[in-house]
Amino acid sequence: LKDILTKTINEATKLGAEYAEARAETLFKTMLTLKEGRVEAAKQGTEEGVALRVLAGGAWGFASIGSLNAEILTNAVSEACKMAKAASLQLKNPIKLAKYRAVEDKVRIKPRKNPSEVSMEDKIKTASAINKNTLSYDKRVKSCTIDYLDLTGTSTFTNSEGTFIEQDKLYVWSRITASAVQKGVFTFSREEIGSTAGYELFDTETPEALGEKLAKRATEQLSAKTPKGGSFPVVLGPNVVGVFVHEAFGHLAEADLALSGGVLANNLGKKIASDLVTFYDDGTIDGAFGSFKYDDEGVRTQKTLLIKDGVVAGLMHNLETAQKFNAEPTGNARAEDFRVEPIIRMRNTFMAPRDRSFEELIEDVQFGYYFKSFRGGQANVDGTFQVGIQEGYEIINGEVGDPVRDASISGNTLETLLKVDGVGKDFELEAGRCGKGQTAFVCDGGPHIRVKEVTVGGSA
Amino acid sequence: MADHTSELRRLLWVAALKKDEMLSLAENAVRLALAKGAAEAETYVYEGQSTSIGVERGQITKSSRIIDRGLGIRVAVNKAIGFAYTNVLEKQAAVEETILKALGAARASKPDPDWQRLPERKPYASVENTFDQKIQELHSEDLVNLTSTMLDAAAKVDKRVLPIEGGAGAGSLATAIANSNGVSGFDKGTMIECSLATVAKDGNKVTPVCFEFNAARNYAVDPEWVGKEASRLALSALKTKRIETKTTKLILTQFALQELLYFTLINAVKADNVQRDQSPFKGKIGEKVASDNLTIYDDGLYAGGLRTSTFDGEGAPKQKTLVVEKGVLRNFLYDNYAARKEGVESTGNASRAGYLSTPNIEATNFHLMPGNKAADQLMAEVDDGLIIYFLQGAHSSNPVSGEFSVVATPAWKVKKGEIVHCSRGVMLAGNIFEVLKNVSVVANNERQMGQLVSPWILVENVRVIGK
Repeated sequence: LKDILTKTINEATKLGAEYAEARAETLFKTMLTLKEGRVEAAKQGTEEGVALRVLAGGAWGFASIGSLNAEILTNAVSEACKMAKAASLQLKNPIKLAKYRAVEDKVRIKPRKNPSEVSMEDKIKTASAINKNTLSYDKRVKSCTIDYLDLTGTSTFTNSEGTFIEQDKLYVWSRITASAVQKGVFTFSREEIGSTAGYELFDTETPEALGEKLAKRATEQLSAKTPKGGSFPVVLGPNVVGVFVHEAFGHLAEADLALSGGVLANNLGKKIASDLVTFYDDGTIDGAFGSFKYDDEGVRTQKTLLIKDGVVAGLMHNLETAQKFNAEPTGNARAEDFRVEPIIRMRNTFMAPRDRSFEELIEDVQFGYYFKSFRGGQANVDGTFQVGIQEGYEIINGEVGDPVRDASISGNTLETLLKVDGVGKDFELEAGRCGKGQTAFVCDGGPHIRVKEVTVGGSA
Repeated sequence: MADHTSELRRLLWVAALKKDEMLSLAENAVRLALAKGAAEAETYVYEGQSTSIGVERGQITKSSRIIDRGLGIRVAVNKAIGFAYTNVLEKQAAVEETILKALGAARASKPDPDWQRLPERKPYASVENTFDQKIQELHSEDLVNLTSTMLDAAAKVDKRVLPIEGGAGAGSLATAIANSNGVSGFDKGTMIECSLATVAKDGNKVTPVCFEFNAARNYAVDPEWVGKEASRLALSALKTKRIETKTTKLILTQFALQELLYFTLINAVKADNVQRDQSPFKGKIGEKVASDNLTIYDDGLYAGGLRTSTFDGEGAPKQKTLVVEKGVLRNFLYDNYAARKEGVESTGNASRAGYLSTPNIEATNFHLMPGNKAADQLMAEVDDGLIIYFLQGAHSSNPVSGEFSVVATPAWKVKKGEIVHCSRGVMLAGNIFEVLKNVSVVANNERQMGQLVSPWILVENVRVIGK
């Protein structure tokens, strides 16, 4: 394979490419979907293919093909060169790449429990146990859908700078949703777990604990009220802080979006947030769902500081944006698989904890909301964000009160970051998937925080 | 001559599978699976080829070509279902291994007492305007030209507008299906699209991302219109003013409707959700669920529709299904499994993500029938209200109850039938099923966006939370 890929790269260089890379992947997947315990289908997949990317005349050409055949790859790479040149015809600002050292490495993962060695029967057993624990918690819980995925395989990367990396891939992931019904009221609860360590994920995220968490949330919301719309002080749990850091801030700190009119490009080195705010994007956390050793441009991953004590410290880069910003590449170029090109993606993104206890955060809130868990979030380059809440409570006179359902918060990211007036000392990181045309496996997290004021959307 | 050589090279790179090749791949795999012990077997073969041009920050920066093909095999053994796929088609051994994996998965799985059998062979209706030879013959140079036209049109509108991303793409896809009940089908189609996302910048002021696109099954896109409209929208978002919190009229454009309906109404009419107590429409066939003004079909045969084909993801014929008639709920959407469970016929709504997945119930072309008012007449009905294009956060709606709480990015204020300014950070909250009861006018300016084919609609009494 090394010879075939090297020959393909050389062909691109011969055809005048300034840069060329080949990324061959072999992937094995196991997937399950259970609905109320019924196994809809037990699924297994095998995929192999190559992503070829060349920079020629200052523009990118990309080709993807599900084949490792030398002749097909040679033809594909020359097509990529030709396409790059066609794309470059009207280019005003040719693309240049930051220099990065040539790397030779083999990265082997040694999981305690390799998912490819766990039998399909056992995987079905685990999923069935989650289902049972969810549905048997309360008879008002009517449905439980479990999706399970494990992915193992190898990515082989080489480029015209002399890098050659063979890297194992391993992901274990599950998403569980439950719904409850009572007197025409429908509620909904969702959990997502994921790991790059191995199948041992289910030793800590046990079926018992998962089932209870889901079912309890769904049933509790049955008697919840809808929140008042308007501006209120809020305390956000680690799960909501995580999605806020990821959606509302993280995407703005992706250098490609920052360049596309995002609000951060002109704020490097400037104070944009409360002193209490420190954010990282970290690809080095052992076993975390967003961790890996090398990104899909062959750059070593790192712990990247994004905001330090309220000041913008850096952005997330690939080779192209690092060159534009005259910065170091940060190892954030990721591709979902060989069908797509690498783009700037987050890894494990979080807010650093400080010193407050949960009680200290809520004690002087007269009326506000405690939002513990999110249902989805989204942001726009202009800094508008929205986060839906699946588990929330009123705060009345410094204490957590009745549950509220179907709330959401919205606002301007930078204005909101300035209003952070308390940061907790606890910390949690949770697995998720991020969509940006392709899916990336990530983690988000942080401590509990308090925000002086944020717009709460509700139907009341 | 240049075109001729590149065509040759493309053929050399990898030749497209022919109809006969795809069908025999599918049929052989079914036979082999039965021989290896499957009680039933189904093979879905998929091949997609696409070429695209990408725009970043105002200029064309990339071009790509993707060829993806593979097959997925679904088997039943003792009423337990197993599935396996592979994209390695050249080697017979890989296909055989995939069959064994599907059988292994089924044997490891649990029997499903509700499983009856795969679909039977039924005649397929013919479809129109889903394949255009011209699209298949397009080169990356043609798409570069198309993209340039779009960018030039955008630039002409105003210097303050920056096209941040977008481009053009053309592709063809072919599918073949065969099963052990005699189903055998082949279909091919083409698609072309161009799109542009823009922001407008004035000093420190940046608008939210605005977006326009065209997508069609035949060579019928208007890049100049897309560029101009994407720019015009961004520009009109520069002038902002706050609005107050109140209950008001909304015009929902297709962008907003698609977001809101995908996670709510469309979920509510899927038969599996109904059967699983996950739909508020359970037991409501024949009841009034929406305004008299709404009639909705799910039309898998809609001429030129983006989701039109002769058969669905498990070889059942696609059809036109009446879902809502003048506000009255008439039918749910079924795949083979959900239909057999109730003893009814599949409505041809099994959908697949290429060869990588088993079928799921999905709407095809979800057609909200047009009324007879032109868009400007609809605007004229609004003395004081908002027009909504882009929404954020619709995916955080409660998928079961239909409650939503989303932010408009942005909302445009309408006074006496005219857009007067834009407003940022406006939240809309309510229940989509209540919204559907409050549709007072349906316009006639329909277009397709994803699954939804719809005109603009006017809705009364929506709660709007200003900033």
